[in-house]
Amino acid sequence: MSRVAIVGIGHSKFGKRTDVNVGELAFESIRQAVDDAGVDKKDIDNVVVGSAGGWYEESLPAVVVDEYAGLSSVGAMRVEAACASGSAAVKAACDSIRGGGADVAMAVGLEKMTEVDTMTSIELIGRAGSYMWEFENYGMTFPAYYALYAVAHMDRFGTTEEDMSRVAVKAHHYGAMNPLAQFQKEITLDKALGSQVVSWPLKLYDACPITDGSAAVILASEETAKKLTDTPIWIKGIGYSSDSANLSRRGDYVGLGATVSAAERAYAAAKISPQSVDVATAHDCFTIAEIMAYEDLGFCKKGEGAKMIREGQTELGGKIPVNLDGGLKAKGHPIGATGVSMAVEITKQLRQEAGSRQASIKNGIGLVHNVGGTGHYAYVTVLARE
Amino acid sequence: MPGEEVLHSRRTLSLRFDIPISRTHEFWDALKAGRLVTTKCTKCGNVTFPPQADCPKCSSGEFEWVDLGTEAKLLTYTQVLITPASFADSDPYIIAIGKLANGLNVLAWLEGIALEAVKPGMAMRLEPRSSKEGNPYYVFVAA
Repeated sequence: MSRVAIVGIGHSKFGKRTDVNVGELAFESIRQAVDDAGVDKKDIDNVVVGSAGGWYEESLPAVVVDEYAGLSSVGAMRVEAACASGSAAVKAACDSIRGGGADVAMAVGLEKMTEVDTMTSIELIGRAGSYMWEFENYGMTFPAYYALYAVAHMDRFGTTEEDMSRVAVKAHHYGAMNPLAQFQKEITLDKALGSQVVSWPLKLYDACPITDGSAAVILASEETAKKLTDTPIWIKGIGYSSDSANLSRRGDYVGLGATVSAAERAYAAAKISPQSVDVATAHDCFTIAEIMAYEDLGFCKKGEGAKMIREGQTELGGKIPVNLDGGLKAKGHPIGATGVSMAVEITKQLRQEAGSRQASIKNGIGLVHNVGGTGHYAYVTVLARE
Repeated sequence: MPGEEVLHSRRTLSLRFDIPISRTHEFWDALKAGRLVTTKCTKCGNVTFPPQADCPKCSSGEFEWVDLGTEAKLLTYTQVLITPASFADSDPYIIAIGKLANGLNVLAWLEGIALEAVKPGMAMRLEPRSSKEGNPYYVFVAA
């Protein structure tokens, strides 16, 4: 298969962005990515926008963004894979190059969630499952979905509320080192453990915030990538999978089957094992999700995720540093932007441009793990320097 | 203040969906009459919950209605304290997933029990309910 590389990255400030509209927010990232890649906008053949939408006023974000950015008559579409929309956009952009339909393509992740009130956001996210059987009569919320997993994981493996809070403390520690993060303050274990219960046993500090933000990556064919940059970051393998819309149709509640199969496919495509990953982003929309991700991605055995966080194995200098950008928890989680933001972070890490958050890069391999919904979609993307 | 200027849109959008249930209306009819039933494919015998008119296993559109069963074992649960906008009038509710004797899982509210008393593995029973608008639904109660 032909090789495709990331040649340009851009990332907006994440947070409550009442200072910009949808087009302006996306352009913050697009401008940086175009400058970073050193391409002319007219050389971009295809733009894929990852956005779940519904909480901002535009119904057709792809064309609104392209118009604002001055990208005329380019290939355009919006893709949706819930919270994995960003990774789906990267995959669609990558595929358009591999298929010969584009030489340079851009994936833009975008979400503007604070134009509606918080309760409406919670309502819209809560409907992300099987509406008739989970929401209409039972009012599921996003924290409630993950709380069902947390309780099962605690019951089966002895994972504790304190273990989950440790994930939040780690996220805020690195968020404090990331000027683009929504939350840039350290928190204590006691503060996390003592925070308001949202959906038992998950508390406010177990949950990612509601966020506005954008991110962009520019991808190019091998020939063009080598002309554009000395540090192309290659897409070595993408694995993707899905699981039932309705949680009651899952076999168990201690891990995400979609992550397991997406990871297997990504490792096979990239011809690597999880042990060779130098640095990763894991989808920590809730703290329990990061603990399960360690297991489902093969960073440890099933049931040993809590041990990894207790022992600091996923901190800087640990066995495999995870979410050195603050993760969804502290960096923020603008739904469609998150997967692209993760690709930006791992590109920075592999280029050794992450400053005080820089992981030690031995094998030149990084991993992006992006989940949509409650394991409804999963994308695992392996990036590499070679 | 810079960054705080927003145009408060004059246009509101209220969405309410009419969801077709024609092909599996017997489920709701039976529930109204106090019984829980679901679909069984007459070609391959696959029993599904939620009920569906087309078999996800063999794609047949031929099915019959069978008793779902009501006895369940609790697999996992939570209590929702921050509710969605459309549940703003509800007190905190416990949601459970239970495994039925036939191996199918059901997600529903678990009523009539304090959070502290809920335990994985506990026995539960499905019971029909009706909303104040007259819409049928079902809940778990401790067995």
